Formats: sequence, C-alpha cells, structure tokens
Amino acid sequence: MIKLKGITKTYYRGKVETPVLLGIDLHVREGEFLAIMGPSGSGKSTLLHILGLLDRPTGGSYRLDGIEVSSLSDDELARLRNDKLGFVFQAFHLLPKSTALDNVLLPFTYAGHFPEDANARARRALGRVGLEHRLHHRPGEMSGGECQRVAIARALVNDPEVIFADEPTGNLDQRSSLEIISILQGLHAEGRTIVLVTHDTAVGCMCRRLLRVVYGKVVSDEPVAEPTVALQQLQTLKEAAK
Amino acid sequence: MSLAWRLLKTAVISLWAFRSYAALMMIGLIIGIASLTVIHQIGQGAQQVVSSRMASMGFGADAFYISSGGGRLGVRRGMKRAITLTPQDAASISQVDGVAHVVPHKNVARTQVTAGGNNTNTRVRGATPGWAAARNWPLLQGRFVSLTDIRQSARVAVLGTTVVRELFGDVDPVGRRLRIGRTPFIVVGVLKSKGSSGWRDRDDIILVPLSTATKRLSRDDKLSGMRVTMTDASRVEEVKTEVTNVLRENHSLLPGVPDDFLIITPDELMKLITRQSRSLVAMLTFVSAVSLFVSGVVIMNIMLVAVSERAYEIGVRRAVGARRRDILYQILMESLIVAAAGGVCGLLVGLLLSYLATWLLAIPTAFSPTGFLWALGFSAGVGLLFGVAPAKKAAGLHPVEALR
Repeated sequence: MIKLKGITKTYYRGKVETPVLLGIDLHVREGEFLAIMGPSGSGKSTLLHILGLLDRPTGGSYRLDGIEVSSLSDDELARLRNDKLGFVFQAFHLLPKSTALDNVLLPFTYAGHFPEDANARARRALGRVGLEHRLHHRPGEMSGGECQRVAIARALVNDPEVIFADEPTGNLDQRSSLEIISILQGLHAEGRTIVLVTHDTAVGCMCRRLLRVVYGKVVSDEPVAEPTVALQQLQTLKEAAK
Repeated sequence: MSLAWRLLKTAVISLWAFRSYAALMMIGLIIGIASLTVIHQIGQGAQQVVSSRMASMGFGADAFYISSGGGRLGVRRGMKRAITLTPQDAASISQVDGVAHVVPHKNVARTQVTAGGNNTNTRVRGATPGWAAARNWPLLQGRFVSLTDIRQSARVAVLGTTVVRELFGDVDPVGRRLRIGRTPFIVVGVLKSKGSSGWRDRDDIILVPLSTATKRLSRDDKLSGMRVTMTDASRVEEVKTEVTNVLRENHSLLPGVPDDFLIITPDELMKLITRQSRSLVAMLTFVSAVSLFVSGVVIMNIMLVAVSERAYEIGVRRAVGARRRDILYQILMESLIVAAAGGVCGLLVGLLLSYLATWLLAIPTAFSPTGFLWALGFSAGVGLLFGVAPAKKAAGLHPVEALR
C-alpha cells in the first residue's frame, strides 16, 4: 500500500542545508499497525508528514496504492488526503468554535460534493469513539481525551485507507492515552491501516510493528512480539484506582 | 445541508470567533458607507426640491425666461450683470410668431419698508397682471396689480405673507398704508404663502405695478427679466432663436459681440441643476471613496493578522483535504461577508443620519436607490479587493508550517 524508496528530505534556510531524512526505505502493507519511534530531531515527524502527503520529499520515490505521488499537483494531493488519509495530531487540532459534530463533518466540506448521509456518518464515527453524548459540545467543553477522540472520529469519517497519528497521546494523561490507544487498536482489529509516531516506548509496544528512526535513517524495523493490549491496561488502572 | 450552505456557515462561524476583529474591520466601512449614503440622500433631496420649486414657479415646458445681462447659465456673470432689457424689448418679443405672453418684471434693490411703527427690509418687484398666473401664485385676499394700475403707475402694493407678518402682524393689511423707501403705497392684496424653498423665503416680497417700479422706485425703465410663454411647447427652440435675433437687433449688437441677455429654457435649467448636483455628488463620492479605500487597507491588515493567528486552523483544513483555492475562497468569502455586513450597517446608519438631518436641521433628503446600490457595490468591492492579499497569504501557507 505504501512504498518508500530512498526518501530524503532536506530543509533549506537561506544557505544553510539541514538534511533531515537520509534515505528511508519503507513498505507498509494494508492492515498494518506501525509505530515510528525515535528521539527528538530524528525526523520521525517529517517522515509522517511526507507519508501523510502534507509535505513533499526532496528525493526518492513514494508510491501510495501504486500512484507515484511526487508527480501529483498540490490539488491532487489535497484530494488524496481527503479521500484516503486521516490525521490525528498531538494537539488535537480541532476547530475551537465548532461543535464536535461540525469538526467531524469538516472533511466532507472539502470532498467535492457533500454526501447526503454526511450527518449520519459523522454521528456513527463519533459513536465509534464513544462520544455520541458529546455531539454538540465544543472542544473547550470537553476533556483532552475527548478532544482526541473527536479528532479520531474526524480522521475516520471519510473511511480512509490509512490513519496517521502524530504523537496522539503526547498531550494526554495515562488513562486518556490508554483510551486513545485502545480505540486505535480496535480500529486496527477491524482491518484499518494505522501509522503512528511516538517517542513513548509503552505506546510503541502497543503497535504491531516498530520502526526506529535515528538521525534520518531507519535503524531497526521489527514486529512487536507481544503487543500490550491497551484495554487490559486500562482495566488494571481502573482497578488500582479503586 | 448543501456544500454552499456549509461554506457560508464555516465563514460565519470563523467570523463570529473573530468578532472583535470583524467589528474593527467594519467600523471604517460603516463610516464610509454611511457618509456615502447621506451624500446621496441629500443630493437626491436637493434635486427633488429644485424640481418641485421649478414646477411651483410655473416653469413649464412651454415657457422660457429672459434675464438681463449676458454670460452663460451657471457661471457667475459678475460685471456682465448689467440691466439691459427694456419695455421696448418686451413689446418686440410679444410680436414674435409663436409667443403667447410676455410677462416682464423689474427687481428694485432691497428696500426699507415701513407701516405704522413697524419696518422691514424686503425685495420689491415691479410686475404686470400676468405675473401671478405665470407663476401659479394665487392671491390670499384682495386683488393683484391691474392694467389700470400699470397705466396710472399707481402706488399700490401686493404683499407676501412674511411682509404682512412683519409689518401688520394679525391685522388685515388690505387698504392700509405703507411706505417703500419714502414713497407711500396702499396695500391692495396679499399673496398666498409659498413657503421657503430651502435657501430663500419666497414670501418675503412686495409686488408693485411694473410702471410704478420703473418710474417711481428707480431711476431707469430697464427690465430685470421676462417670462415668455409659447403658444406651443414644441416651438420653444424656434421661438428662442427668433427672440435672440430680435433682441440683438434692438440692442444693436454687431456680429461677434456676445449677447447682453440670457435666455433660460426649463430644459437647460434642469440640465444645469442636475449637472451641478452631479458634480457635487461626484466630489463627495470621491471623498467617501478615499475613506472606503482607507477602511479597505484596515480590513486587509486586520485580516492579515487574523490569518497569522488562524494558521493552525488553516493547517487543519489543508490536512483534511482543503485545496489552496478552498482556503482562498474561504478567506475571500469572509472578507466579503464582513464588508457586506459593514455596508448594510453603514447604509442603515446613513439612512438614520439623513432622517435626523431632515428632522433636526431641515435639510431635504430623499431615498436614492442609486446611492443604495453604490453603497452595497462599493463595500462588496472593498471586501473582495482587500481580501485578496490575506486570502493569498492564507492559501500560500504550507500545511506543515501552519500546523506547527
């Protein structure tokens, strides 16, 4: 589904060149749950931006579903993001003045045509993340965990082929983090492809495959032998709280 | 819920989120549009007053007016304003084919008028019996100047209501005496009130027989002007040419010497008035256009700041699939809505101000549909024009940079 070959990315600021990615090869198959880990400045976020078509690589080849994306125009990339990709960000990135429902409806606004059943689909997506009781709340009226669940619903609503999550638990407490990961694990169990960036080993161990990036290079790429089940952890946590 | 509706809703929600900015953006526009509206209302009002005044003067399509002194209509005639028309001219013109009536008059300089212990200063005009009819100016009581008065150069006077009030108060003036300068007169009639016409009290007037004015109140027998009525409205131009020839001959003007009189047709007068008010409106429109330009610049700058503050919102929209042009349209839509809202507010403020102007300052105003359209067009134009730079800035943001 995703095939990267020799992807490089160099930032230019004036005459200073900052190479961030030094040639990444990566193959992500449908239904994988991949965690990209690495220290700050390793280029993992840049890699995710390139994978998510938010940024263009400086060199190399990126084929998404067999399409060479470097040859696509900005508008075509936007269309692909809308059609095939979903994003979850560390800072949630919800529109603060819009309700949860309106936030989830946002992708449809840019889908070319607004589907008849948009509202039903948005409600279903919010139901999927357990927020059917929060449809008309604004981000300011919800907890961080709830906001991130709205963001997941927004990523889900267009039924994307891949969900990208950039440090989705970075701003959350342990319990909310576990809730978010357990939702992602559930989505993976339904057959969705998920690529997640994190620097938290505990989160990394809840995915199925772990890619470590250091200084713009892949240093290890191996399956997680026994992924932690977030739901179990959550229950343990709840019992401990009692 | 259609897509257009969602886009509109998006814009309104964003604007509501940034309502303090939106209010700032609208202030300049409200002031600009309000003044534009007031200007048009006043311009329209003045035009209506002039038209109704011309109608009340009996300046119908079948008449024109000859004034002493040359020059051009609408240009101050200064030294050329000599009194050149004579009773002989009036007699010659009445012989011209197509002329029905000639109603000459003579203005005497403003004079001190006394009656009993009261005195006032007023316009005194020598007129003929046809004068009142030519101006649609009926009498309130008594009688008008008669042919006998003219023949005898009688010392009789017909008063406007303002003069009556000043000199006689509530007493019936007909049959009473008054002095114009040092000459004693008897009041024979009172004119019905015509009201003020905005800049001049038309009831502040005394009419005396034309011959009395020329012989007893001034040192010459020249005429200030005359109204010429045609037998047929379609012959105005033809009669005008013939009258010009007659007058030039009477005044022994050689070819090349400019006319020492001026013929004003209602057509020309109307054109002049519209031209004058149009140039006034054009000037004031220019002034408000400048203020609108300034408010446009303000809008642009505030929008630019707002775009920087909203970078992450734009990043989110881009991430979920908005194209550059979607962002461009959104920001343009927002500035258009702000500007249109500002325009409508400005229009309402302008309407309110012009009603206040009419009510408190007695400035005539009238609703001007063109002004209305100008206001809306202008504000929408300002919104679009000055929304372009912020919209381009927003659309040009790199999604990754924007999300940071």
